[in-house]
Amino acid sequence: MSNNGGGPSELAKQEARLARLLLLPSIIILLVVAVYPLGDTFFASFTNRQFAGGETTDQTFVGLSNYRQLLGMTIKELKPVRVTLENEIVYERAIDVLPREPHLYRQVTQFTLFGRRFVLGAREPDFILAVKDTMIYTVASVILETILGLGIAMVVNSKFRGRGLMRAAMLVPWAIPTVVSARLWGWMLRPTRVGLFNTLFSAIGIGGGNISFLTNKSLQLPVLIAVDVWKTTPFMALMLLAGLQMISQDLYEAADVDGAGKVRQFLSITLPLLRPSLAVALVFRTLDALRAFDVFNVLLSRQRLSMASFTYEQLIQFQTAGLSSASGVLIFLLIFAFAVLYVQLLGVET
Amino acid sequence: MTRNKRGTRRVIGRIGFWFLVLLIAVYLLFPFYWAFNSSLKTEGELQKTPATFFPGSPTLRNYRAVFSDATFLRGLLNSTIVASATVLLSLVSGAFAGFALGKLRFRMRTPTLYAILAMTMFPQVSVLAGLYTVIINLQLSPIFSMILSYMIFTLPFTVWVLTSFFRDLPIELLQSAQVDGATPFQTFYMVLLPLTAPALVTTGLLAFISAWNEYLFALTFTTIEPKARTVPVAIALFSGVFSRQIPFGEIMAASVVVTIPLIVLVLIFQRRIIAGLTAGAVKG
Repeated sequence: MSNNGGGPSELAKQEARLARLLLLPSIIILLVVAVYPLGDTFFASFTNRQFAGGETTDQTFVGLSNYRQLLGMTIKELKPVRVTLENEIVYERAIDVLPREPHLYRQVTQFTLFGRRFVLGAREPDFILAVKDTMIYTVASVILETILGLGIAMVVNSKFRGRGLMRAAMLVPWAIPTVVSARLWGWMLRPTRVGLFNTLFSAIGIGGGNISFLTNKSLQLPVLIAVDVWKTTPFMALMLLAGLQMISQDLYEAADVDGAGKVRQFLSITLPLLRPSLAVALVFRTLDALRAFDVFNVLLSRQRLSMASFTYEQLIQFQTAGLSSASGVLIFLLIFAFAVLYVQLLGVET
Repeated sequence: MTRNKRGTRRVIGRIGFWFLVLLIAVYLLFPFYWAFNSSLKTEGELQKTPATFFPGSPTLRNYRAVFSDATFLRGLLNSTIVASATVLLSLVSGAFAGFALGKLRFRMRTPTLYAILAMTMFPQVSVLAGLYTVIINLQLSPIFSMILSYMIFTLPFTVWVLTSFFRDLPIELLQSAQVDGATPFQTFYMVLLPLTAPALVTTGLLAFISAWNEYLFALTFTTIEPKARTVPVAIALFSGVFSRQIPFGEIMAASVVVTIPLIVLVLIFQRRIIAGLTAGAVKG
């Protein structure tokens, strides 16, 4: 459409008017359901609001102190105190080194660098650990379910008998309510042979039928990731299947004529054309994973927190609405960063 | 000999393919089978070690318990109403918005896209109190409260997916429609909308499932009116979330019952996800 003379053409103005009109329903819904709750959370994150029995109490503005509380960290060196008979170095206790005034720092972890021992302390170690766990959980499960989802989408995209049934079956894990599926997994992962996995593993000689999948610290995250991948791969697969459906068959026929192999076709037709669907699917999967709550809550019952369950605990358990809101805002910012990253990396915005 | 070799390779390919299909089916369906298997066992058999892959003496006891639970049955109806209305509302407004954001040129396009996404970027618990205030002030019934609040997660999803699909539709379609004298709205309604059918069905299904399965909002908004409880809330409540004794067989029976309508829904709609729609349109 050419633009004759200065200023936007009549056609362009007409287009912009139509756009505003079409966006109106969404904008109204956005204003009604989202603006106040989001604005209120954002506002509360700068106050010391308490939440008691559904009522919010008087609040005062406290600036960034909630954020400082959540993100406050320090690293201190631990001096060696003595050497044991087994030649092990004993360091001074972290609790003696970490600052107490004006704010108490508690140990998150210890690490050794260049032969020196350090302790990482934080004012809210639970939050720092929740961020770390949630990030590992998100990155691992999103990568795995993207690979699996793409594979499944490509299989059910090819022609075979029973394809319709397979497409329906494929959605089953996503269709089971999370409240229920988390319990189902909890049942299958029981630490005795009442559970499926201990029955299976002991039959093939792994473990004695008493592996504690959900209480063993080093198994917890891998198990949660496996459960999430099972549950959400269907979402990924269906999104990518819809993307595959939009790719014109002509392109593949042309590529066949040109003698391009299947791998070549996948790399130079399928993947590039799937990019927009992939970006959207990644945005929403990452968003959900970063807000993961049910799986952590039901399967690990507070032994380990995700960022969202930390937010929940702060509000429901400790009634610190201000701090909980700040944690919500930090999750918001993290998700925003991921969304922008995906859109930029996959070059969808034009 | 060459022909023979190629034939063998094809057979191996077919076998490999079917093996892959089988593998996927087992991976995705086995836990559901386990739920089904457990739903046919008595509480006593459920506690036996080792767990068995088939019920020893299958019983429909758990299903009878589930179907005599009035809250659960009402929940099925409530969930159907809430999820259908949610999907309808978000598909209509999402398709309008998706067309505007994907195909029309205007300022503030990118900010609008991100503003809509921002609706859903807070954890549910953070917006719960604020949302509750809104609902009290608007004096909405629990069913309407749920429909409206589910927009928080279904609308951004439908808008983003549909925007990306509209954007991908070839510009030639728009231009040829314009040459034929169609207004932008006619172009949208008569040319573009039918072409995005796969995307509409996909997003509709996924949004329906999210709404069907939502728990936290539903639990909060129906505390004052138990009649409005949806299925997940009903299941969580009859399973006694906070008690030690969990009627596991019943939960499994209920989860089988709530999953089947969704499978039927997918079976009906999956035919709509048809290949090659765009290709035909551009050629013609």
